[in-house]
Amino acid sequence: MHNILVHDEHGHDSDGADVFGFWLYIMTDCVLFGTLFVAFLSLTYPLMAGPSLKDYIDLSQVLAETFFLLTSNLTFFIAILYLNKNKIFSAQLWLAITFLLGVGFVYLEIHEFVHMAHEGFRWNVSGHISAFFTLVGTHGLHVSFGLLWILTMIIQLPFIKTSQIRTRRMTYLGLFWNFLDIVWIFLFTIVYLTGAI
Amino acid sequence: MSNHNIVQPDFGVGEKKVSIYLFGFVSCCILTIIAFWAVMSGRFSHRVMFFIIYPAAIIQFLVQVICFLRLHTQTQSGKNNVISFIFTGVVLLTIVVGSLWIMWTLNYNMMH
Repeated sequence: MHNILVHDEHGHDSDGADVFGFWLYIMTDCVLFGTLFVAFLSLTYPLMAGPSLKDYIDLSQVLAETFFLLTSNLTFFIAILYLNKNKIFSAQLWLAITFLLGVGFVYLEIHEFVHMAHEGFRWNVSGHISAFFTLVGTHGLHVSFGLLWILTMIIQLPFIKTSQIRTRRMTYLGLFWNFLDIVWIFLFTIVYLTGAI
Repeated sequence: MSNHNIVQPDFGVGEKKVSIYLFGFVSCCILTIIAFWAVMSGRFSHRVMFFIIYPAAIIQFLVQVICFLRLHTQTQSGKNNVISFIFTGVVLLTIVVGSLWIMWTLNYNMMH
């Protein structure tokens, strides 16, 4: 605590404390996803009632979703690079591309959910399916809020005067967006790939 | 470039380096393709598939944490991040392993 107070006099280190706070929020979000993963696993293996996920998965679509998310991380990184060079318009442009890739991800996911529901794979059929929709849906919701945030950032960027504040806000968003991709690694491995085997 | 360092505090998330990021991105692409190919091609036994997709996921997780999130222990804020990261890992391990142990043993006890 003393340490932080001392650094506060230098100004920018209070930003460091802010970012650390946001980092802690992301860590708690990890715990949230951990519990949802456990719920899914304990309701799926070793025994489960009702229809199995295996018959409803289209892996090529999941692969496409994975690449949308992964590439959006790259484009976000490029946006940060342009921002560091104070090229606001280019940064906005790459953020917009990030946004579109994210929209592609959410679109594919919703498309998949609707398709599943039409085939009778509904959330109210069994615990396994409820857990599946809760887990994947929570991630999808996070991505949707991330998209809203990116959109806000695109609009905000030219109005933020100091580059320090810009960098800090982009750091928050970058951590959040990258965190979602990390959760997705476990999602596609544990839920989709293992489910398809 | 000297001004560059003052304007951009470290935040414990490391300096943005294009080479490291591109390396991470390409590795992630390859690992993702390997994992999906192992399952989609259908040429492996189930056991082999598990042995491919789980290590691939763990490596990709490490690559993303190191190359994208840039976790490091060079600065104090970086250390704080790593400590809280490890703490979260311990909490997650307790929740996941503990719950699965209870639930799966419960299932076993009811079946036998």
